[in-house]
Amino acid sequence: MGGRRLPAISTIVAALAASLLLLFLVAPIGELVWRGSADGVARLGSDAELRSALALTGLTATLATLLGVATGIPLAYLLARRRFRGRAVLSALLDLPLVIPHPVAGIALLLVLGRDSAVGRGLLVAGLRVVGTPIGIVCAMLFVSAPLFVSGAREAFARVDVRYEAVARTLGDNGWRVFRRITLPLAGRGLLASAVIMWARAVSEFGAIVILTYNPKTVSVLSYDRFTTYGLGEAIPVAAVLVLIAMVPLALLRALRGEREMHAGGME
Amino acid sequence: MIVARDLGARLGSFQLQGVTFKVPSGSYGVVIGPAGSGKTTLLETVAGIVPASGGALQLDGRDARALPPEARRVGLVYQHGYLFPHLSVQENVAYGAADPAAVDEVVRRFELAALRHRDVVSLSGGERQLVAIARALAMRPSILLLDEPFSALDPGRRMRTRREVRAIHREWKLTALQVTHDFTEAGLLGDVAILLDKGRVLQSGPPEEVFRRPASPYIAEFLGAENVLAGTARVLEDLAPDWIDAPPSEFRDGHHAIEFTSGGLTIYTVGLPPAGATSYAVIRAEEVVVSRTPQASSARNLFRGTVREVAILGAYARVTLETGGGPLVAALTARSVHELGLAEGVEAYATFKAMAVHLC
Repeated sequence: MGGRRLPAISTIVAALAASLLLLFLVAPIGELVWRGSADGVARLGSDAELRSALALTGLTATLATLLGVATGIPLAYLLARRRFRGRAVLSALLDLPLVIPHPVAGIALLLVLGRDSAVGRGLLVAGLRVVGTPIGIVCAMLFVSAPLFVSGAREAFARVDVRYEAVARTLGDNGWRVFRRITLPLAGRGLLASAVIMWARAVSEFGAIVILTYNPKTVSVLSYDRFTTYGLGEAIPVAAVLVLIAMVPLALLRALRGEREMHAGGME
Repeated sequence: MIVARDLGARLGSFQLQGVTFKVPSGSYGVVIGPAGSGKTTLLETVAGIVPASGGALQLDGRDARALPPEARRVGLVYQHGYLFPHLSVQENVAYGAADPAAVDEVVRRFELAALRHRDVVSLSGGERQLVAIARALAMRPSILLLDEPFSALDPGRRMRTRREVRAIHREWKLTALQVTHDFTEAGLLGDVAILLDKGRVLQSGPPEEVFRRPASPYIAEFLGAENVLAGTARVLEDLAPDWIDAPPSEFRDGHHAIEFTSGGLTIYTVGLPPAGATSYAVIRAEEVVVSRTPQASSARNLFRGTVREVAILGAYARVTLETGGGPLVAALTARSVHELGLAEGVEAYATFKAMAVHLC
């Protein structure tokens, strides 16, 4: 009597379930980083193939992200601001690459961009070979990660109150100037966060890349290659490096969110 | 000049329909109406933010429907300011201004110098409204649209800002259209009052006319008329009775002396005979004079009653008098209530002139 009430059984069960899931998610990654990160970082000095995979991954993911941002912003703005026939269908189509298995995405891309396709032949004539080149990696990354950017950017635009734009129009700006001077800066943080997520997703892609371009190897393909060729011991340092790379955007996102929370409440 | 003729606009499920009004060049229009009546949508339609779906809209003689918002030379101030949060106060005010001198002038006139370099997210609601007004004026518009622009200002600042906006309106020869919930403000500022409800204009004209001669009992009650009595009107034969308390010139063609009966009250008035069998008499509380003894005056309508309620509202008071035929509400100063010794149960007299009664 008079002591603290014991937590309800339901609370204990919920806490236990949550802890188990957290452990399941974190433990393998923790184990991987614990066992492989020091070796992985050390190998960056001696393992030329790992260094080159790392550079290729960073470069292709950045290119894919830039392409995704350039082409995704107009699409996201359109979806956020305009009501038109077929908008729901367009949204559903954009989600499709997120729900299909990524090797299937690779096969689909191969069908459209491979040398047996009209597009692939056209690109070859223009001197652009997709399959088996970094261009293929960029295409695979773009396919699987651009929908994430469009979805995030759409939300970022939707969060900008249209009345800011309305006021700017009355102050003499045409539609493009309003977009440049008001919409883009106000949606900027959300757009940046979406681009970071897209980049992270592109870096971690494996399934579609491995179908389009096995060589040259990205870090994800290299870790798989080391695993199948040399076994777990050789794959661990490479995989750990990939985890460390993925942590960079995570930290960046945290910083962005922290800044946004600091500003929250001050916005109209 | 703003001229709307049968103007329509659609915003989601809400519609402006058949909106017709005119704010002459250099005049100050006020839009009043209950919440959700379409006041903000009307301003946005005039500004070109909400596209008109029908009718005609002229701004300074130009067909505004053919012009995008940026070509209409319209300054728009929302109630919540909508200051651009990524810009400073100075950058906000200067956003649409072509002339830096205009920026300096509005900053000075609205006392914003100390805020110039502040981040707008740190401003109070009232400060935001001031910056929003300054921003709209700094671009030197020819038409100014204001959506409850003074609502977050403290009473002193509100009075000064209202005065300044009115002064700039006169000096710069602007045409203004302001949404307000404040009837005093509507009366103080407006040359033209537009009463809006459910997306339609119920009545428009000089504020004095709209307040004194509401077109319907609904309008009368919305505008705060305390005595709206349903009853029947009977035209009296004498066209210019000796009890008429207005100059003969005001006894216009078609007007008659009318006897209006509502419950046990018989009221005399002058006006056009109402069209329907049931009509309404509207008497504003400030037209009703209360006294402890019958007043020797020319006022035709005199009723004896008992004070049922005295509501003191700061310097003013509302006194409800129960007459034999129904209650009458009078507006007095709190000092008068005290001097007359008015309290619940006290016997008193209510008097009002025939011309104070409006039939609709």
